[in-house]
Amino acid sequence: MLAIEAKELSKSFQTRGRKRRVRTVEAVRDVSFSVEEGERLAYIGPNGAGKSTSIKMLTGILHPTAGHANVLGFVPWKQRMSLARHIGTLFGQRSQLWAELPPRDGFQLLAAIYRIDGEEARRRIDELSDVLDAEDLFDTPVRNLSLGQRMRCELAASMLHRPKVLFLDEPTIGLDLVAKQNFRSMIVRLNETQGTTIFLTSHDVADIEQVARRVIVINHGIVIFDDKVSRLRRSLLATKLIEVRFDSPPAALVFDGVQVVKQSGTGYKLVVDTERRSIREVLDELLDHHRVADISVADPPLEDVIAKIYRERL
Amino acid sequence: MTWGVFLTAFLSSARRTLQSRGQLAVRVLFYGVILGVLSALWKVATAVNGGVIAGYNFRSMLWYLVASEASVIAINPRLIEYIGLDIGSGGIAVEMLRPVSVVGLRIATALGEALVRFTCALTLGVLFASFTVGLPPDLAAAAFALPAAVLAIAANLAAQHSFAAIAFWVNDSKAAWFLYQKLVFLVGGMLLPLELFPPVLAHVSRLLPFWTMSYIPARLLSGHFEPWLLLPQVGWLLVLMAGAAFIFGLGQRRLEVVGG
Amino acid sequence: MTAIVTTMKTALIEAWTNRKSFWLQVSFMIANDLAIVIFWMLFFREVGTVRGWDTGHVLVLFGVLANVTGISMGLLANARRLGQMIADGELDAVLALPVDPLLYLLVRRVDTALLGDLVFGPVVFIASGHANLETAAVFVIVSLCAAAFFASFLVVLGSVTLFLGGRGEQAELGFQALLMLASYPIDLFGGLIKLLLFTAIPAAFVTGLPTRLLTQFDWGESAIFLAGSLGSVLLARVVFRAGLAHYRSGALWTRA
Repeated sequence: MLAIEAKELSKSFQTRGRKRRVRTVEAVRDVSFSVEEGERLAYIGPNGAGKSTSIKMLTGILHPTAGHANVLGFVPWKQRMSLARHIGTLFGQRSQLWAELPPRDGFQLLAAIYRIDGEEARRRIDELSDVLDAEDLFDTPVRNLSLGQRMRCELAASMLHRPKVLFLDEPTIGLDLVAKQNFRSMIVRLNETQGTTIFLTSHDVADIEQVARRVIVINHGIVIFDDKVSRLRRSLLATKLIEVRFDSPPAALVFDGVQVVKQSGTGYKLVVDTERRSIREVLDELLDHHRVADISVADPPLEDVIAKIYRERL
Repeated sequence: MTWGVFLTAFLSSARRTLQSRGQLAVRVLFYGVILGVLSALWKVATAVNGGVIAGYNFRSMLWYLVASEASVIAINPRLIEYIGLDIGSGGIAVEMLRPVSVVGLRIATALGEALVRFTCALTLGVLFASFTVGLPPDLAAAAFALPAAVLAIAANLAAQHSFAAIAFWVNDSKAAWFLYQKLVFLVGGMLLPLELFPPVLAHVSRLLPFWTMSYIPARLLSGHFEPWLLLPQVGWLLVLMAGAAFIFGLGQRRLEVVGG
Repeated sequence: MTAIVTTMKTALIEAWTNRKSFWLQVSFMIANDLAIVIFWMLFFREVGTVRGWDTGHVLVLFGVLANVTGISMGLLANARRLGQMIADGELDAVLALPVDPLLYLLVRRVDTALLGDLVFGPVVFIASGHANLETAAVFVIVSLCAAAFFASFLVVLGSVTLFLGGRGEQAELGFQALLMLASYPIDLFGGLIKLLLFTAIPAAFVTGLPTRLLTQFDWGESAIFLAGSLGSVLLARVVFRAGLAHYRSGALWTRA
């Protein structure tokens, strides 16, 4: 069954720029897609691509300028309150909890809002504290929690009423590496144990690889890619970036599947084609044959992935 | 030299204040509304009392309020709160790294902002009062009101910095602000000339620093040629400046010991 | 409805968590209120009665005003911040909940400092010498209605941000002006200004009419007052609802 359906969804804003000239900005243009129940979808794009605007139309927060949408049988902006009972939302930078109070108190209030009776609410809070590994966190005032801990509590708050679809807008923003990994595995676990449909926006390539099974890429308000993550991985994410600095300049740095994209002094930026050479082999070779002072490995930035999508299309 | 730094801070903050026209207009407009309301109040009040209350007729009372309100409204109403926030968040530690007096630089900056606001408010006040009751009763006294107003604003800023420095020890300076503000309103003579106070209260008010911040320029503008009133202003200004520098020094040392 | 009551309770519990600061702020607010009363006592001591107004009369006015600010700015602290919250996109989290967004928003946060006003209000009213069993009942009712009116006024001003953008400066200015005009006896003003006080800056409905009803009760004026406060609540709801379709969630600002 379809959980989400968007048809030619568009949203434009009027802004007053310099000299009070009115300008129309098209944040989202003719976006169409559908999501099956139980899917894990990453909705990605660079900053300002229209991700948040899309997610906010699907949750009923924003009214679209044109187009249709249907989420769990509701038209979000017309039946916002009814829809709200069946979906969960988590916005990276906005708290739904009370800063001075422990999360448990906030959950109790949310339970009242979603009309979950006291006994049932307590049962669900315990259950979530197991799933999210958050036993001690629930009784500490929110302001004393680290960002990573807070996001786990926010996630619990979003899941309390057992939503069928969970919308997450940049949930991992600002988290450190370990907290990010943690958070991603929690989301996957929620999807697998409770069957929650996951709709996640991000501009972090790792979010896609580790959480989603399907990915939609949006840029300048237009959908430019919509397919399985495995396909994206094969064709577009098959590279890693290595930044390396040597003690002395290496004689030659030529090996198969590796391309030098930038060099300054003893510092090199290499792109590894992981389809041809495994990252491990390349690292071994570098460390065995050269005097390495410093080295780091990273995913390609999303901008590169998008540029590649455009290139492959043309 | 240091004075050059203070002057630069003063001028750049004055320029910034002039540039945010919207905020400036709102402040000045609000001053206009206050003046309008108080003018209505005193017109009726003097009329039912045979035209004069404690030596003030409607004309001198209106000119009194033009100066008393402008001297106070010139200062950012949330100054103490902001200083407190900077101290509480440790942001002030960055300023302590510079080779200039923190409090000196802050007062120079605040003064730049306040004098721009004061000039704009006063212009509106002078227009309003001139149209309503005619020119100030004594122009010679009015000429002294101008430097008195600058001294009043400077003294007020110095005192606010001393008050706000409480934030080095207690983390909520909002409460201190309420108390301070009401002292200026009342015993500073912003709402009522000291002549209307019962004798004991009037006497006590003259011993406190607050009357230099509002009452003195207002008294001069209301047509009383009493130029010697500038003396207590200068005296209190020096005391308050020294006080602010001293308290900030103590606070800074505490910050260095305890850490931001 | 239970959700709204629980939300309010939670907001109060949150305010109460920092007890020391709570009492400090409450007592400073009372000192703050007291200073204004002292001003009027000094004023009337020197000036005598002005157009039927004396100290007792002004104390009635401040009793009502303190209740109004205590409720509409203390208990419903977000009313004043609505414009800014809209500009910052803070409505997102509220709109994602299955509750009436306006009502929920208003009761979501309590400003501790202004709760002191709720203590001050009744005390000043008793001190005014106008208190008896009958007027006490009227005092409670008019305070509630005037607070509803004031909060609605703030909501309407804040909602303008939904239509026109900006950061809610108009709300702050309107709020300051209304609060100031409401703190002076309405009979000081005549003609055009008085008309203004019944319409554009409706101080008449905040303290003017309530004070009149407490000093010389009149059924006709009560009807006008009740109609005005009821109308304001309806207006606030309609304007806010209509504005929601234009809500832009701060998208263009956070994008920078």
